[in-house]
Amino acid sequence: MEGESGDMTLSSSNRKCSGVTGSARKIKDNAADWHNLMLRWEKLNEDGFSMAANIVNIRRSQSNEQLVDESSSAPTDGAAALQDECCKLQEIIHKMAAVVTKMRRLMTSQRGLQDLEEFQFGPEGRKSPLFHNWTTKQFESSSRVLLDAFSLELKLKQTILQELAHTSTSNICMVYLSCWLHQPFIPPQLSLTLEALLLETGHRPL
Amino acid sequence: MSKPALTSLHQALRKSFQCVENNQKLWKSVLAECTPLLSSLGNLAEQSRALSNVQISNTPLRLFPDLEGRLRFKLLQATDTVLGKLNDKMTSLQSVRDAISNQVCAVFQLYEQNTDSLGLPVVTERSATAPSVTDMLEWLQDAERHYRHQFLRRKTLLQTLRADNLSLLESAPERWKSLESPTADDNITDTLCKVSFFMESE
Repeated sequence: MEGESGDMTLSSSNRKCSGVTGSARKIKDNAADWHNLMLRWEKLNEDGFSMAANIVNIRRSQSNEQLVDESSSAPTDGAAALQDECCKLQEIIHKMAAVVTKMRRLMTSQRGLQDLEEFQFGPEGRKSPLFHNWTTKQFESSSRVLLDAFSLELKLKQTILQELAHTSTSNICMVYLSCWLHQPFIPPQLSLTLEALLLETGHRPL
Repeated sequence: MSKPALTSLHQALRKSFQCVENNQKLWKSVLAECTPLLSSLGNLAEQSRALSNVQISNTPLRLFPDLEGRLRFKLLQATDTVLGKLNDKMTSLQSVRDAISNQVCAVFQLYEQNTDSLGLPVVTERSATAPSVTDMLEWLQDAERHYRHQFLRRKTLLQTLRADNLSLLESAPERWKSLESPTADDNITDTLCKVSFFMESE
């Protein structure tokens, strides 16, 4: 599913390649990148969740042997497995951080476009919109909203990574897991922001 | 004189049992789809409970001041989504109930219209292959009542759920499971076995 919609955006941007140039081209490509990066983030989030859940289960079986009976591993095995899962989760967070870095680059490029526009057309910006009706500023503010959300979510995930394996209270573990799963800093309207971006740039048909 | 009436009644009975058989399968498959939804409902309630039990300001998560509200919102939203899906499932169950009720109602109507011409001996007569008309009517009524009750009890369970009453949500999967009545289900299956020769004797 994820691959399909990713491909769709990419191919549609490729097909219309001839139509747009310059700033519009750049903004359109950025929108496609936003879409793909967000899909990538979702995938990483799913993968990371199963690891986080494993970590919590190992921790609980260590602290309370009779609680978890399906993982019949010896305590030393548990420690090795815990270490292993933590490393995997760390790996996922690294990849997530890389995604956010790429998002930050998109933001920088968006700001660059904004600066270029101010240089070309003065502080008012261009008279006619690049696509349907958004000003270049609106692209920048959308990117800002997306970037802020993902940066904060990354920070939350990094905190969870640091604490998860050192916590054995079931309540707080549960809160960490539900934070990981539900991504509180990525509100549902964020996908609307992305859709608006895709709609405006013509990736989605009007 | 009673022959054509009996034939058409038999025909209607066959149709009704066919309808029960098809809808029994449908009912079971919809119920099977509900089970994971119910367990995620219970799971979400558990997550909300954990969030309420934790003082965020005493944890490393205090760096994120509005985390609790945001997470709670996400949990509520997820609960809402699950409830929405369950509601769709209930619509399917309702259509099963209605299909059976309508069919059984029609066959009873037909029976009542022809009571005089049929006569008691004819409707109570049974053979090695065909149960009596009265028996079959009774079984149909039992089946119809079973689905009606089941639907009502499950619907009531879902309607009493409240987002702010965690214990109700937490116990929902258990209570949903306790509504299962394997004996009644088996009775319907038994009935379908009992009428199988009759069904084939068209």
